[in-house]
Amino acid sequence: MTTAPIHPIPIPMPAELERATDGREVDPALGLLQGEGAAQRVRTPEPHPGQLAPAQFEGDAKTPTYYGLPVLQEPVWIWTIPVYLFVGGMAGAASALGAASLVAGGPTLERLENRCRALGLGGDVASTVLLVTDLGRPDRFLNMLRVFRPTSPMSMGSWILALSGAANSAGFFFGNRRGPLGAVGRVGIAAGGGLGALLAGYTGVLLANTAVPLWQAARRELPVLFVGSGMASAGAVLELFHDSGASRRVTHWYGTVGKAVALGAMLAMQRSSPRAPRVTESLRTGATGSLWRAGLLLTAAGLLASGLGNKSRARERFAAALTLAGALATRFAVFHAGKRSARDPRATFEGQRAGMGAAELRHPPDPKPAVFKLPVMR
Amino acid sequence: MAAAKGFFTDTSLCIGCKACEVACKQWNQLPADGLHFTGNSYDNTGHLGASTWRHVAFVEQTLSEALGSSDGQSAANGSTFGMRWLMESDVCKHCQRAGCLEACPTGAIVRTEFDSVYVQPDVCNGCGYCVAACPFGVIDRRDDDGRAWKCTLCYDRLSDGLTPACAKHCPTESIQFGDVEELRIRAQRRLEELQARGVRGAQLYGEDARSQPGTGGLNAFFLLLDRPEVYNLPPDPVVPTAKGRESWTFAGLAAAGMFFTAMAGALLARGRSVR
Repeated sequence: MTTAPIHPIPIPMPAELERATDGREVDPALGLLQGEGAAQRVRTPEPHPGQLAPAQFEGDAKTPTYYGLPVLQEPVWIWTIPVYLFVGGMAGAASALGAASLVAGGPTLERLENRCRALGLGGDVASTVLLVTDLGRPDRFLNMLRVFRPTSPMSMGSWILALSGAANSAGFFFGNRRGPLGAVGRVGIAAGGGLGALLAGYTGVLLANTAVPLWQAARRELPVLFVGSGMASAGAVLELFHDSGASRRVTHWYGTVGKAVALGAMLAMQRSSPRAPRVTESLRTGATGSLWRAGLLLTAAGLLASGLGNKSRARERFAAALTLAGALATRFAVFHAGKRSARDPRATFEGQRAGMGAAELRHPPDPKPAVFKLPVMR
Repeated sequence: MAAAKGFFTDTSLCIGCKACEVACKQWNQLPADGLHFTGNSYDNTGHLGASTWRHVAFVEQTLSEALGSSDGQSAANGSTFGMRWLMESDVCKHCQRAGCLEACPTGAIVRTEFDSVYVQPDVCNGCGYCVAACPFGVIDRRDDDGRAWKCTLCYDRLSDGLTPACAKHCPTESIQFGDVEELRIRAQRRLEELQARGVRGAQLYGEDARSQPGTGGLNAFFLLLDRPEVYNLPPDPVVPTAKGRESWTFAGLAAAGMFFTAMAGALLARGRSVR
């Protein structure tokens, strides 16, 4: 074995210093961190009781785990994310209904259309606040629009939400005016409708495009579930206004289709693979399972209550409340059941051994790193 | 771009001294995780995390556990008390198809000139998407700092022509640093040598795209003495983006369905009110 010759350490030139910067910037004279990443701390050095407690040796020699410890990191998102999934889906579905009312509804649906505009814009604003709250560095929220990265559903979602907010703002403020501004407003309403439909659907991809076993396995059902549930929520909120005539019929139709689609997607999602029951176990057992069943039952009850004849105002309001509670419970159930499946190493191991890893891809991914030659906005 | 750099971690040489963990913490000035006793053999670290970029796993196996079958008998040949002790220094894999990089919405995570995957701390806004997207559970967000952190492959040291701190400090050359191409050849030779000596269960993990199509191969790959699960490594990891396309298709169909339902409702309502 040859020994590498010892090079004298060259004095870095300014250009090389630039290159060698890694954000932490150790001052070579003092050995102190002075850069962007300095002053790192661990807030709670001691783990929560039981978090790293000696795990029971779980399982057997055939299906080992590492002391039952998680293989994945649990998603760090907080409660604002499931609430956003609910609010964003509702706002997107309302925008789509508003656009359809403008394009195809005519003057009879004008009040419904105005309500949809307000719901769409209000939901977009609330969604932005909820998402920024979740960031580790909320002051850097504008970095979300720094790049356009098609492989990242979160990047796509940021652009969809930003554009939807712009389009809905134009629609809300200028939609009823005359002249060129009014035209801009009406274009905004139409564009906001398309973007709203995407806003309700992309959140399913956002969860599915992760390593979390439950979400990845439900990658087909999740977008459909969130779109259906968004339509149901938008319909329920609009039904609380007690419109009559044409508006009421449209709202009822929209909400009913939404509830039926959401129920179908939920039933499809909870089907477990016989070879890897562990992947969907968090939908069946424990608190997450109860929450999931609550979402399922509330949505079904909302569908039944609004579907029966003799619709009094009280019953309509009751059905709407059931539907909204069901939609919210479903979002929290999907969120927490996913987190639980990430904590369970067996959900990952069993699924991948049963062919739910890379094995089920018809075409393995291109081994070359994905590169985008797109401008970076600074 | 310079040649791709990476690690070949040969667990058959690891003695569990944790010099790599200490060297990594020292060079990168990472905060301590606190003192706690897990009782999981000598592993009081648990897992990779925001302030732990090297983690040594310790596995104690009885004969029946080794390799999950009667193979264990031969695997544990020469051991005393019918036990064997496996150690493995885990690290960010710097995947060819990196889940974290492809998920990052801010462009904070980039591929460097050394083909490593690197988080730019001045850009990261702590959205946490990379945390959920890593199929190995490597990258994590630090609570108070609010940003995602992981192994940088000692980007600063590499820029100055130095070896990463962990590989530099490994006393048994269990962690080998170099050009990935060369490391692959070295790993193959080592595997053949072990197999010739009758070590059952020796296997490479993620050395190229053929052996691990889900990630396109790892720039930091391993030689293991048992199945990956034993070391808390996923047996068939896949970059989530590879399955995202299917999900996008369903999202597009669902969104179209929403729009058509809305249009149908509006048209029906108008039709009826005109009548």
